Amino acid sequence: MDFFAKIAWIIPLLPLAAFLVLMTLGRGFRRAGAWIGSIGALGAFVLSLLVLSERLKPHAIDYSYNFSWISIGEYTLRIGFEITNLTALMLVVVTLVGLLVNIYSAGYMASDERITVFYGYVSLFTFSMLGLVLSDNLLSFYLFWELVGVCSFLLVGFWYARPAARAAAKKAFIVTRIGDAGLLIAILLLFWNMPGHALDFTSIQSIFGGHGGSFTDGITTVIALLIFLGAVGKSGQFPLHVWLPDAMEGPTPISALIHAATMVAAGVFLVARTFSIFEAAPAAMETVAYVGAFTAIFAAVIALAQNDLKRILAYSTISQLGYMMVALGLGTMTGAIFHLFTHAFFKALLFLAAGSVIHAVHTQDIREMGGIGSRMRVTAWTFAIGGLALAGIPPLSGFWSKDAILTAALEHNPLLFGVGLATAFLTALYMTRLFVLVFLGKSGSKAGEAKESPLVMTIPLIALAVLAAIAGFVELPWNGWLSGWLTDEVIEPHGSVAVIGLSIAAGLLGMLAGWLLYGKGIAGSQPLASRLPRMVKLAERKFYIDELYEMVFVKSLRGLGACLAAFDTYVIGGAVKLAGSAAGAAGKLGLRLQNGQVQTYGVAAVLGVVAIAVVVIGRRMLS
Amino acid sequence: MSGLGQIPILSIILLSPLLGLAVIQLLPRQRASWLKIAAVAATMVPLALTLWLYADYDRQQGAASYSETYNWVQAPLKMNVGGDWFFSFQYEVGLDGLSLPLLLLTAIVTSTAALAAVHVKKRWKSFFSWFLLLEFGMIGAFIARDVFLFFIFFEITLVAMYFLIGVWGYYNRERAADRFLIYNGIGSAIMLIAFIMLVNTAGFHIVETAMNPQYIYSGSYADILRNLSDPGAYVNLPAESAGGNPFALGETKQWAIFILLLVAFGIKLPVFPFHSWMLKVHQEAPPAVVMIHSGILLKLGAYGLMRFGLFLFPDQAREWASVLAILGVINLLYGAILAFRQQEFKLVLAYSSISHMGIVLIGLAAFNEIGMQGALFQLISHGLISALLFLIVGSLYERTGTTELPQLGGLARSMPFISGVLLAAGLASLGLPGLSGFVGEFLSLLGLFESMRWVTAIAVIGIILTAVYVLRSVLKITFGQQREELSAIRDARFIEALPMVVLLACIVLLGCYPSVLTDTMQLSVGGYMDLLLATRAGG
Repeated sequence: MDFFAKIAWIIPLLPLAAFLVLMTLGRGFRRAGAWIGSIGALGAFVLSLLVLSERLKPHAIDYSYNFSWISIGEYTLRIGFEITNLTALMLVVVTLVGLLVNIYSAGYMASDERITVFYGYVSLFTFSMLGLVLSDNLLSFYLFWELVGVCSFLLVGFWYARPAARAAAKKAFIVTRIGDAGLLIAILLLFWNMPGHALDFTSIQSIFGGHGGSFTDGITTVIALLIFLGAVGKSGQFPLHVWLPDAMEGPTPISALIHAATMVAAGVFLVARTFSIFEAAPAAMETVAYVGAFTAIFAAVIALAQNDLKRILAYSTISQLGYMMVALGLGTMTGAIFHLFTHAFFKALLFLAAGSVIHAVHTQDIREMGGIGSRMRVTAWTFAIGGLALAGIPPLSGFWSKDAILTAALEHNPLLFGVGLATAFLTALYMTRLFVLVFLGKSGSKAGEAKESPLVMTIPLIALAVLAAIAGFVELPWNGWLSGWLTDEVIEPHGSVAVIGLSIAAGLLGMLAGWLLYGKGIAGSQPLASRLPRMVKLAERKFYIDELYEMVFVKSLRGLGACLAAFDTYVIGGAVKLAGSAAGAAGKLGLRLQNGQVQTYGVAAVLGVVAIAVVVIGRRMLS
Repeated sequence: MSGLGQIPILSIILLSPLLGLAVIQLLPRQRASWLKIAAVAATMVPLALTLWLYADYDRQQGAASYSETYNWVQAPLKMNVGGDWFFSFQYEVGLDGLSLPLLLLTAIVTSTAALAAVHVKKRWKSFFSWFLLLEFGMIGAFIARDVFLFFIFFEITLVAMYFLIGVWGYYNRERAADRFLIYNGIGSAIMLIAFIMLVNTAGFHIVETAMNPQYIYSGSYADILRNLSDPGAYVNLPAESAGGNPFALGETKQWAIFILLLVAFGIKLPVFPFHSWMLKVHQEAPPAVVMIHSGILLKLGAYGLMRFGLFLFPDQAREWASVLAILGVINLLYGAILAFRQQEFKLVLAYSSISHMGIVLIGLAAFNEIGMQGALFQLISHGLISALLFLIVGSLYERTGTTELPQLGGLARSMPFISGVLLAAGLASLGLPGLSGFVGEFLSLLGLFESMRWVTAIAVIGIILTAVYVLRSVLKITFGQQREELSAIRDARFIEALPMVVLLACIVLLGCYPSVLTDTMQLSVGGYMDLLLATRAGG
């Protein structure tokens, strides 16, 4: 039975239809916006659930369908969709978070005059993201990959009048495009090297899985690294992470949907989809693992020193995506997907709860908050659940997925295990700091106005809190249901008491440290800044990466532009002027001859006749 | 045989703008609205006919032949050798998968430009007369199958453009028109030299008649192509001249003609470093005219380069493939970096055109079917996109009185529709999938990658730079705080929105369903590739 898999192509079309309807309606129909958007998302969610339910039956067969998009001689570029267990899982994650964000936005964006446009963009994003998930080959994957990027751009810049939003949108697009360029070259390489110019994931898997093909190790590594470059851009990994914190200029529901749960995870999904290429390239695998590990701890340190509620969460996202990359680099694709799955819920929850706070207090600076917990109980509780899940406290979902990654790290690479553990500690620390400063303690300057958000916003919070709590049970250390289901391989129970113990200890220690530093205030209001001023300053300024890029790339592009502009004006323009004045001079000469004086013409005519006569007579005489 | 084969459809399409021209001559010159309606209606005739032709061509799978040949002038030549010598000037028109999409592009862009000409403020009668003459010239150039006929139509476009720029342009219009004429005049002179050299040698053929054999020089493209690709064919000379065939086109001469054509059409395309004339045109010409200039006339350069440069001289072209590729990459990157520098939006778009024409060269340099499809697709796609962008420029200037970026900002607030279309056009220009720009770019790069990996990899940097300059300028105009003095402006009127929607719809259609174009072109691309890849015996 694969009835729903066969009609899975309808799933992305529902939000697309919503987008088209909303764009046609325009700004006038404000109330309809939320309804149309949400209905589209709901339809997609229900269908996705049905597809998933089919996949849960034993021995479900993968289904794919594709058609020719462009056909040139012997070459055909195809577009298609594919239902596997992995895509079915991603479908449900995307549509579920999408649906909840749609509902939540009805409250959050209620007073915005462009709410219809907002829902239009969200629907377009959902369409593109679902298309990306369903794609059966790299070309259509790339098409949708670019489309989600542009939707992200549109939504980051949704409040276009703000200069910061404009800058952030531009930056998001351009920085991710650097990664996209890498992915594009990888596609070109694959196209010309794959047998039959196939780009579909199934062929890639079978070729790189060791069933023939003409790939040398060098080419394989280059392809893997180029694909990874695309993932680095989209998933905000170092050194292309700079766009993601700035992307927080967008409305908060967008941060939850695009910049936490779905699009930024697409990089991880991409590597998982092309995993066989990575498995065939050990050097690329190591790169993935180390880049991920570095990003994880690097972003966690920055998160510790930020004061903007959403930016802290953004750095946390970067850090957790680094975690997923570590898992991929270690070869445990299911570990990465598992963490992607749980992270989608708890991070979306954290962002939406943060949005609820921001909606109430109209600031994002955590130093102006404080003591909000008692005024916004639902928000505070759900935020706490999300925070605990992120910090890796059992039995919440984040613990299990983090544990799976740490177990793999301990098996393969103690260094990565150490980094992972340190990151877990830092994560618990910054989340405690965040929670304490926002929800506990004395009321901050802006906290007075706070009151709980409407039901339309709190219900999605509660739903996500439930998921954040229980989503981890799909894969327990002693019962690997998810990994068995995703990879069709029976995996030995890998529960390691040592890892569990250390992981819990790191989380609890981090929370304790956070409580001691910020909750009890044993070291004043800025406990770290007074002890480690340089270090904190460095982390606060995000290690000056933005400034560095500004200097190295932006300035040099400007400089090059100035040089070329001078060249264009003086050398090339000069040559043209020269040609122009030469033509002008010739014209003047002609003009002087045509001066209207009949005598001049007469002289010219006589001279001409004489000349012709000389030539004619001369030729006669010579012959 | 059904279809359009039996009626001289090409000539009807060609002459239809002249009919409009005649009607306009009968209208009183001060009646602006009558003149505008007549002009728009006149452009609808070739549009409708070309659409019909396009559908018919597809249905016939390109099999139907639409070519028409009439002997126009046969000038007897006096020669020392016996027999009848003629110079034969033919009216010969034809159609293939290269001409047809460009013909349709011409019809679409001209119609939308005619609508955009609502902003023209003076001397409507002569404006539309020149405008329709320009369309006549463009259609003719795309269907001409005789080198001299092509040359004449090409010149008609120059003359019409000269007046359209010089009379109806912005402040520095006359200088821009002069520079346009001088530069293009040089290009035409070079082209003419190349054509004369061609006709003088490969244009020669002998027709055996019952009485005397006829020795004919003609510019017929088919004859020249046949003679060039099979040297034996024009060695069928009388025995007495066997000592040395004066009509053989030696290696050196072939190279000379090839390079002359490269320069002549390179100026038009434009290829770096021959681009500076078109900056002024973009800046000074009225937007409706720039739509045509950037949308179609630049494509005429690429078209000529293909038809007369590459197809006639494939050996030389193949040998210079890497030169073409590198010129393409230079165009792409140089245009992009300079577009990033400009403070005047029209100049951003001008440099953007240079950059996008680089993609065409890249696709051609691939010398495979994918690259050629990419180059052709890019021609059509860029024609639509740049026409749309200049359509918006016209509406923008009408409202703000400026297109200087520092003086614009936040227009999304007061004109959401135009800003949305501008953003969509910008995204199309930077190659967003789902819009036409992506397909041309992707196919060109894909094609070139087969033979020149590193050059392609460098070209890919261009897609990042394109995003940088497009977003910089488009967001500067539409995003940000609205300036006080711009708050009163209104969004598009229906008459402005209509052509925008039409062009954007074409861009989306080609982006989502490129087969509608590639399949038509594919009917001929295989043949071109055979031409390009065939090795020729001897010189």
